[in-house]
Amino acid sequence: MARIELIDVVKRFKGETVIPKLNLTIREGSFTVLVGPSGCGKTTTLRMIAGLERQTSGDILIDGACVNDTEPGKRDVAMVFQNYALYPNMTVRGNIEFGLKNRGVPRQERERLVRDICEIVGLTPHLDKKPHSLSGGQRQRVALARAMVKKPKVFILDEPLSNLDAKLRVQMRTELIELHRRMGATFVYVTHDQVEAMSMGDRIVVMNRGEVMQAAPPMELYHDPDNLFTARFIGTPPMNVLPVSRLAGLRTEGEGTAEFAGFRPEHARLFPEAAEEPRDAWFIAGEIVTRESLGAEEVYQLRCEAGTFFVKSFLNPYGGGNFAFAAVPLDRLYFFDRDGNRLRNLRAVRPQPALAGVR
Amino acid sequence: MSLNDAGRRTAAGRAAGVRRMPDASRIRAVLEAALLAANRACMLLLVCAFALPFAWMISTSLKTLPETMIFPPEWIPDEPVWRNYAVAWNSGPFLRYLLNSFIVSVGILALQMLTIIPAAYAFARFRFPGKGLLFGLVMATLMIPAQLIFLPVYLMLSEWKLLNTHLALILPFASSAFGIFLLRQSFLQTAEELIEAARLDNAPEWKIMLRIMAPLARPVLVTFALFSFITHWNDYFWPLVMTTNESARTLPLGIAKIRETEGTATWNVLMAANVMLAVPVLLAFFAAQRQIIRAFVYSGIK
Amino acid sequence: MPFITNRLKPYAMIAPALAVFALFYLYPIGYMIHLGFHEWNFISPDKTWVGLGNYREMLADDTFLQVLRNSALYTVMTVLLATGTALPLALWLNRKSAFHAFVQGAIFSPHIISLVSISLLWSWLMDPEYGLLNGLLHLLGIGPLEWLNDPDTALISLVIVAVWKSLGYNTLVFIAGLQSIPPELLEAAALDRSKPWTTFRRIILPMLSPTLFFLVIINLIGSFQVFETIAIMTQGGPVNSTNTLVYYIYEYGFRYFKIGYASAAGVMLLVIVGTLTLVYFRLLSRRVHYR
Repeated sequence: MARIELIDVVKRFKGETVIPKLNLTIREGSFTVLVGPSGCGKTTTLRMIAGLERQTSGDILIDGACVNDTEPGKRDVAMVFQNYALYPNMTVRGNIEFGLKNRGVPRQERERLVRDICEIVGLTPHLDKKPHSLSGGQRQRVALARAMVKKPKVFILDEPLSNLDAKLRVQMRTELIELHRRMGATFVYVTHDQVEAMSMGDRIVVMNRGEVMQAAPPMELYHDPDNLFTARFIGTPPMNVLPVSRLAGLRTEGEGTAEFAGFRPEHARLFPEAAEEPRDAWFIAGEIVTRESLGAEEVYQLRCEAGTFFVKSFLNPYGGGNFAFAAVPLDRLYFFDRDGNRLRNLRAVRPQPALAGVR
Repeated sequence: MSLNDAGRRTAAGRAAGVRRMPDASRIRAVLEAALLAANRACMLLLVCAFALPFAWMISTSLKTLPETMIFPPEWIPDEPVWRNYAVAWNSGPFLRYLLNSFIVSVGILALQMLTIIPAAYAFARFRFPGKGLLFGLVMATLMIPAQLIFLPVYLMLSEWKLLNTHLALILPFASSAFGIFLLRQSFLQTAEELIEAARLDNAPEWKIMLRIMAPLARPVLVTFALFSFITHWNDYFWPLVMTTNESARTLPLGIAKIRETEGTATWNVLMAANVMLAVPVLLAFFAAQRQIIRAFVYSGIK
Repeated sequence: MPFITNRLKPYAMIAPALAVFALFYLYPIGYMIHLGFHEWNFISPDKTWVGLGNYREMLADDTFLQVLRNSALYTVMTVLLATGTALPLALWLNRKSAFHAFVQGAIFSPHIISLVSISLLWSWLMDPEYGLLNGLLHLLGIGPLEWLNDPDTALISLVIVAVWKSLGYNTLVFIAGLQSIPPELLEAAALDRSKPWTTFRRIILPMLSPTLFFLVIINLIGSFQVFETIAIMTQGGPVNSTNTLVYYIYEYGFRYFKIGYASAAGVMLLVIVGTLTLVYFRLLSRRVHYR
């Protein structure tokens, strides 16, 4: 396992600046997930760590050593590609031992390593087959085995589960977490799926347009987002964000001028009328536009003066007709300024008189 | 079965008075069959236009000299004169000609493989200053046929004392712009990820080229090899210009030279020699028809 | 250090091929142009500068003018006949059955046989006294033709041989082009009740134009390079009626040892083929319809 540091890394493609200035530290032995929308630079960052792309300026260090000029094969980094990139004309065995051969590992040891790895991933009956006769899941295992057998310090995975069907994906998620625990290498994982990110990573780096929006463990991202982007990226449905100017009766105290207020759908509860209880809640009235029932969960979309928002309830369907009051606990309200930065020192205050949020 | 037939065959139909029409459908079927047969017959005629000359070639090769001088010509000789073949074969060092042809064709192909694989790989996978210009230069040579530059090359090789050697026949063709073009196309279509995976696997450039990309391009390489081998095997012009004696002479040239030898310059012996020259290629053609046609036809479509 | 070798790698990889091309294709052209301005008889090492003298001599030579005429005639006839017959043939033979594959293979066979074989064979076929062609014509009641021995018919005889050899290739290339037309286009035309001729003119021909373009240029350049059939069948005669550019150069270089003069003729060939290609590309490529 190794620590990875990106210092003032800039990447430009043909005049377009994809990554303006990136500073990132990936802790050794962590399962770090880079997540963000398409084009946010996560794959580019990954490739720069692997050495497949060269940064325009800045330094990349692996375990304290600068690897700017080190070739990809020599950085002790293994990669699993989105489309697996298996060598079509070689057998499974050939694919796995190719890297070992190039390193000059003697044959006896090579065979032992290949045998062991195949036992771990369950590929032993397929050793002499070629990739085209394997299923998607099997190919993925070969890609994994090929990377694992090199016992790298850094294990890079570029959306490895995106080509699998949903069920296999869930299964592989747990297997990958197992793998991380067993191997102890630093895992750098790229995905655009925030659910995958939240469930697998012990540290998540949210990226947007080449910049790190926030790097923190999953729960911190969930409870304490740094900015609007992160807040809205995590969660299904994402956090509701409404302009403060259109929210009548919302009172705050503390530092900063709030432009936006946000709350998570799962923190709100629906009531048929504005009530005294819960006391430390702010009520917002709305018309229910759609209802989605997902079995145990219900997701409601409501339209109010300030816009539309969602409410998610668990095992508690709302029976009150087309109008409802959403009660949001005051301490579950997040505030953001005009630039999208989180105002941590601003709190919502109990409206006086009560029910002032009512229309 | 048309409605008419159905009508005729049931009692109800007959009762309804469905008339027995002169089987328009049957006439149509007959006409269609006749047209099809005529179509096929015309095609066979076309085939004859191409097969007959070869048949005539074989027929002549088995005749005696007087038999060749019958007019109107007759097809089947009284007795097949196999001796013509022996005479043709012995009229010159044909074993050496055969060997020369083989050495030259194989030599050219080997050198071509050595030069076009790295070149196509470089043009496909690297970015370097001047790439466009250099590639354009290579492609420009496609427009320069042997018939244009034979004289200056002859003079050059003569100066270097390379005339009448295998080198003179091999070196000028040691590379092929056509091959580079084809192979580059094929390399361009290989997924970039595959090469990146190989780089991460610590593979040196030559291994990537030879162990991964070349095997993937095998169909193209086979196609090109067929094309190159056949073309150079059949070449008459270049050996004609570059050789003046038997030492490096190739088969087509050797066969053409029979005409100049007294005593063998008769049509029956000449045709026997011709059969020996043409038949192996024809046999190869029938064996690998699809591959060969694909090599020549589809690779031409840029 | 690795950075520098990395930069040099691609150049090193294309160097061998480039060396071959530079030495055997590009340099010779320069050399030939250079020689065209000299007089040299190859035996003695003296090369005398004559400037445009060779060219003047060439343009004043009746034989050369005839050679130009022959080349032009030969090219026009061959290209027109070869591509003109190949297209209808392709339309006729375009079907994927074993029988059709057999016919296609049969007409393609001359393409892979040595030109020597073909020249010898046709010399025999066209023998005025005992050849098969005259034998067949005799069956039809037509008197014997002189074919290669008559200055009036010799060139056309060579054209026939060239067409016979290239017809199969041209046809199969056309067929490949036809098969690459998306069938939906033809189906749509059928649904629109388009007549065969209209379908051909409005849909097939435009879709086929890249193929046509390609074949014409290939046949054009190829026919200017004709040599083998002339060398084996007629040696430029009778009376220079089949003397064409490449043979002319060959004779002056290898028989008369007028190297400078032959080089100048070579330059003429280069100019002609080059100009034709350029004109062709400029004029006609605009009419080619690409998808």
